[in-house]
Amino acid sequence: MKIPLTFVLNHQKTTFEIDPWQTLLEVLRNQGRKTSVHRSCEEGECGACTVLLNNKPVNSCLVLAASVQGASVMTSEGLVKNGRPHPLMKAFTDELGIQCGFCTPGMLMNAYALIQDAGDTVLTDAVIRKALEGNLCRCTGYINIVKSVMVAQKSKLAGEWW
Amino acid sequence: MPDTYGNNTMMTTRPANNFIGSRAMPELVYNAPETMQDLMDLISTHGPFAKIVAGCTDFIPSIRTGRWRFDPGLNLIDISKIKALNRIENKEDILKIGAGVTLTQILTSPVVRASCPVLTQAVEQMASLQVRNTATMGGNLCMASPAADTAPPLLVSDAWVLIQDAQGSTSVPVVDFFTGPGQSILTPGQVLTHICIPKIKAKESAGFRKIGTRTAVIISIVSAAVKIRMDGDLCETARIAFGSVAPTPVRVAAAEQFLAGKPLEKRVIEKCAGMAADEISPITDLRASAVYRKDVAETLVKRCIMDCLEALT
Repeated sequence: MKIPLTFVLNHQKTTFEIDPWQTLLEVLRNQGRKTSVHRSCEEGECGACTVLLNNKPVNSCLVLAASVQGASVMTSEGLVKNGRPHPLMKAFTDELGIQCGFCTPGMLMNAYALIQDAGDTVLTDAVIRKALEGNLCRCTGYINIVKSVMVAQKSKLAGEWW
Repeated sequence: MPDTYGNNTMMTTRPANNFIGSRAMPELVYNAPETMQDLMDLISTHGPFAKIVAGCTDFIPSIRTGRWRFDPGLNLIDISKIKALNRIENKEDILKIGAGVTLTQILTSPVVRASCPVLTQAVEQMASLQVRNTATMGGNLCMASPAADTAPPLLVSDAWVLIQDAQGSTSVPVVDFFTGPGQSILTPGQVLTHICIPKIKAKESAGFRKIGTRTAVIISIVSAAVKIRMDGDLCETARIAFGSVAPTPVRVAAAEQFLAGKPLEKRVIEKCAGMAADEISPITDLRASAVYRKDVAETLVKRCIMDCLEALT
């Protein structure tokens, strides 16, 4: 039996007809067409499906869609404004924190929450690595990803973020 | 075989075929009660045909990997929307943690850090940020994994859980809660509502350490927690607990008693750690061998005791 699910998706109130056994990952990809949310391990190990649920990063493969009724969900599509990439995205491309791109949307959402929560505290290598422990990348070896996050925070502190 | 929620009618064992990969979710009916009254009504309506969940971070993988199978039409009861179960209550002598409190709430709680730092230490090393944001301690206990990382800190803290059913609420020491791998004393119609932890007192100290193949997002090969209470230069009482070395998280009584009344010098600590390792009989599995687990268990106890001593000075 389909049930209506209403929540805020990327700043817009959205309603989908869902099956109660669908995960948030499936609803975002299939009904919402937010294909930046990547399906990979489905066990909570890789972080490729990371989205923000009420501003906190979660693995959307481990969240039942029915449980986000009334909540706010953000995918990396929500970072884009008027077709312009977010400064966080630009930092990842500038610093080569991206190669094949499979892990990138999850990395972006986790990094976005990390930088937003950090406020004026400058993020160190150790803090960034601890925060991104749930996001696997098999290309870059993380060095450039950590660098990207540091550069992105600088752009936020310089007031370039929206 | 009944699972930890006492659900013995819908569950079958591992499927006979050799399918490897992600299985489809069964057709579910989703229930999200908002009050304890609604929860108990749902439990009495659906009884053994219901599955109680909170964060779902272990429930979904259990289905995906085929560890659990349910028939279509399963009633899922999600307790994470019940406000009464989402709080950490700071009582006079104890911390009362709701079953729906997430690991992130525990990790970031100054009250837990001050009153039960060993739990903060353990949660810090669990899973990943994304999992901690949804997973709950109630779920970690109810899954009754021998490797549950929150169990050893609760065992050494002499914690107990509150279990609610139609008759009322009963309290059970955590040490009596687990009955086997994936099994606990919970029966159909019962729900774990709170975890109560005595606060750490003056002259007491506790520590937790775990070993896995890496530091994040890993199931422990061995985890250990130690709590000691000092009386001057002598150890008055001690608690030592392990995860991943037996069918359930366990305490080692002989090693605990050995420490009582002794000065915590190098020779005593080493003897105690050796006794603790002798008391356990871990198995060899794909994560580690029994011999390795015993070795690591001994070292972890030694280091935990030294951590405790350092924290006290």
